[in-house]
Amino acid sequence: MAAINERANGFPAEAGSERYLRIEGVRKEFDGFVAVDDVSLDIRKGEIFALLGGSGSGKSTLLRCLAGFERPTKGKIVLDGEVMNDLPPYERPINMMFQSYALFPHMTVEQNIAFGLKQDGLAKDAIRKRVGEMLEMVQLEKLAKRKPHQLSGGQQQRVALARSLAKGPKLLLLDEPMGALDKKLRSRMQLELVNIIETSGVTCVMVTHDQEEAMTMATRIALMDQGWIQQVGTPDEIYEQPGNRFAAGFIGSVNLVEATIDEDEPDYVTLRTPAFDAPIHIGHGITGFEGQQVSFALRPEKLGIGKAEPEQPHNKAHGTIEDIAYFGSHSVYHVRLPSGIKLMANFTNQQRWASEGMTWGDQVWLWWGDNDGVVLTS
Amino acid sequence: MNARALKRFVPGGRWAVIAVPFLWLLLFFAIPFLIVLKISFSRLAIAMPPYTPIVEYVDKALTLRLNLGNYVALFTDSQYVVAYLSSIKIAAVSTLLCLLIGYPMAYFIARMKPSTRNIALMAVVLPSWISFLLRVYAWVGILDANGILNRALMGLGVIDAPLRILYTPLAAYIGIVYCYLPFMVLPLYANLVKLDLRLLEAAYDLGAKPWQAFLRITLPLSRAGIVAGCMLVMIPAVGEFVIPEMLGGPDTLMIGRVLWGEFFNNRDWPAASAVAIVMLLLLMVPILVFNRYQQKEMEGRLT
Amino acid sequence: MNPTFGQRLLRWTVLALGYAFLYLPIVLLIVYSFNASRLATVWAGFSTKWYGELLRDRQILEAAWVSLRIAFWTATAATVIGTLGAMVMTRFHRFPGKTMFGALITAPLVMPEVIIGLSILLMLVSVGAAMGIPSKGMVAIWIAHVTLTVSFVTVVVSSRLQELDKSLEEAAMDLGANRLKVFFLITLPIIAPALVSGWLLAFTLSLDDVVIASFVAGPDSTTLPIKVFSSVRLGVSPKINALATLMIMAVSIAAIVGWWLMYREDRRRQLDMQLALQENG
Repeated sequence: MAAINERANGFPAEAGSERYLRIEGVRKEFDGFVAVDDVSLDIRKGEIFALLGGSGSGKSTLLRCLAGFERPTKGKIVLDGEVMNDLPPYERPINMMFQSYALFPHMTVEQNIAFGLKQDGLAKDAIRKRVGEMLEMVQLEKLAKRKPHQLSGGQQQRVALARSLAKGPKLLLLDEPMGALDKKLRSRMQLELVNIIETSGVTCVMVTHDQEEAMTMATRIALMDQGWIQQVGTPDEIYEQPGNRFAAGFIGSVNLVEATIDEDEPDYVTLRTPAFDAPIHIGHGITGFEGQQVSFALRPEKLGIGKAEPEQPHNKAHGTIEDIAYFGSHSVYHVRLPSGIKLMANFTNQQRWASEGMTWGDQVWLWWGDNDGVVLTS
Repeated sequence: MNARALKRFVPGGRWAVIAVPFLWLLLFFAIPFLIVLKISFSRLAIAMPPYTPIVEYVDKALTLRLNLGNYVALFTDSQYVVAYLSSIKIAAVSTLLCLLIGYPMAYFIARMKPSTRNIALMAVVLPSWISFLLRVYAWVGILDANGILNRALMGLGVIDAPLRILYTPLAAYIGIVYCYLPFMVLPLYANLVKLDLRLLEAAYDLGAKPWQAFLRITLPLSRAGIVAGCMLVMIPAVGEFVIPEMLGGPDTLMIGRVLWGEFFNNRDWPAASAVAIVMLLLLMVPILVFNRYQQKEMEGRLT
Repeated sequence: MNPTFGQRLLRWTVLALGYAFLYLPIVLLIVYSFNASRLATVWAGFSTKWYGELLRDRQILEAAWVSLRIAFWTATAATVIGTLGAMVMTRFHRFPGKTMFGALITAPLVMPEVIIGLSILLMLVSVGAAMGIPSKGMVAIWIAHVTLTVSFVTVVVSSRLQELDKSLEEAAMDLGANRLKVFFLITLPIIAPALVSGWLLAFTLSLDDVVIASFVAGPDSTTLPIKVFSSVRLGVSPKINALATLMIMAVSIAAIVGWWLMYREDRRRQLDMQLALQENG
């Protein structure tokens, strides 16, 4: 448990490959506007690390600082023990895959991939061999002589990936890797991309605004908002254990109610809230005090929904179905409680036509377990 | 190409890139104005060069001889004043005519399909690739008393006697509008082609008639293009020489001709310089307006 | 919203009149170059004698040669300097003096030619000797023409540079190319068509200039426009019509060739993209 918490803070106990890329107190200002606000992160060798956030969160600026296109106003960037700050982009062992792919239109696929190798002054044979390996890796051997405008979007992406891995960089940067693809292609390419990156073993930092993408592809995620880090952790940590309201609300859907701590015991906590009649019972202790105002976060899939009242004396609520969103595989019921609050509950349509005849206007009960929700103090 | 050797240029490379165009224009565009200013305070002399020096250093005494005679003449001699005013008038009217003809053309070309658009635009620009001198010359033949225009009009019975157009100010107007029309159409087109047609669709949807949408939406949004086009026509037109010389008569007083006359006929370099300086001052404000627009356009701040 | 019939009629009328206005004089120039009569206003039968006279006129031919040489070197120098200027305007962010730089770059676009001509002549007379440049002659004309045309090249090239995706240049740097290499390996090849446009524009402006050249031309550096101007001041001369027609033909052929090349390139790209879409890799 302690180890998980340590990793969540981004400052693990062991040194060496644990702190392969160190971002130390990096701050970037543009004309008084603070884009990146004293960010510190430790990224492990070989992991795929996602910077997740909306527009203006500072994630792209931070990525560009890593690449060398922006100079941090303050702070250090250290890769494998070497300070990067003063190095121009063309001297860093870092390569980037751009959102628009930025394939050179006047060069063929081969020449695009070979470009970086030529800049290093490799011998022609070595270049040809390496380009061949790269083409094999992304399965585009047959398209080597084509020019970018003769390729489809997915093919262009693979060329961009091959080009950025050709030099075997210590750090690979991905800028909204799936941004230019349509939805169907996206899911397939996400897994393919992760495979290729993991096979090559390169450390990877990616930037995205798509939480699904981050959750699917990354080993760890840093949630960013307005220039600073809200939370760092593995995808399931962030989802199940959001650190604050922002984190809870950003990823997936969440029911969020305001409550007051009623009983604060070492092994359980009770919350009282105007939203529900019954109290909320948490099955473990938290750091807090009686009377403290907190938020209670409950994911829709953790709620049970049905017409009969559950037997438990707490962790339940009763209301009217106001909306039903049907997604085929599951439905989301929006239930209005007498207190005015609306709760969302997922119902998996495991059996055909199985939703128990629950429809608009029906009175239903919602319930959840002692450890299904998260108490948030910020 | 030895990258290592060239690397030495790179840190200072930025300044080298800036320096080359900057120094050239400073030396051959900006500084010459200072020299013109200096000579405008000089006096005509039978010497080589044909003007008197401004600064004299005799017996350890430094004397500054600024001759204001040229400027005094400009402001007192009615011929000069009339020429300046006439130039501005002719340039302004020509600009207006160019705008009236050029705006509709630019508008309709911008609304064509992309494939035809490029051809249409090229067709507007193509005449200006042919010598401007020769095109003005063509109008001499057209506007002459025995020229095409008169012969056609007389042949159709519209008039009895030939119209005297050539060697009158009217001919100069026609010439200026003809030669400068592409300079009006191009910036207008560049602006109008970026107009989002969905804005107009929204207007129609909300009940606006086409002419209302034009006045309230298209016209205001094309303001930058209008300004650029007008400046591109008016400023050089004020100083025009060839057109009024070839098409206009003795009545067509333009300051460009005055400058030319002072320099080539009178060989009075100081007087010509003074004429140039006053012309520059007159045009300073429009030039600065154009300058600001053009810089923004080139830096990409205008969309 | 599809244009109504009335709107379409208006559109085509306006354009027809506009184009007629632009092209009628040119057509007439051509027609009268074949006029047997000296009086360009009276048609006296078809003849090509003026072309013969033109080609026998040594002064005009020499002047043409002078003009072509000056125009070539003007265009080349203006393209180099103008491209550097365009790079500064579009790629260099704020440095002390950028506003002044911008003013210097844009002012020649609208400056009356009499002012440019006079000022450069006076400049060369005053300090030209110190710099080793004669105040009149081909070098002087070259200097004046470059000064005139640099701004035009800058406008054309910076327009293209703006459209250029900056991430292409960043990608090149990311892959190990320093700024100089990025310019020569990536930027230049991609904006090459704009450089050609700029070169042609500067060439035409130089070839056509009579005012500036008059100020700085020497006795053995008479340019074609100067020659033409002095001819036509004395009245209409069909030899000039013949010259005009030849120039028109040259320009038209160049325009058609250029347009055809662009069209072919465009078609090929479209086919390529369709092919890629069909394969849907």
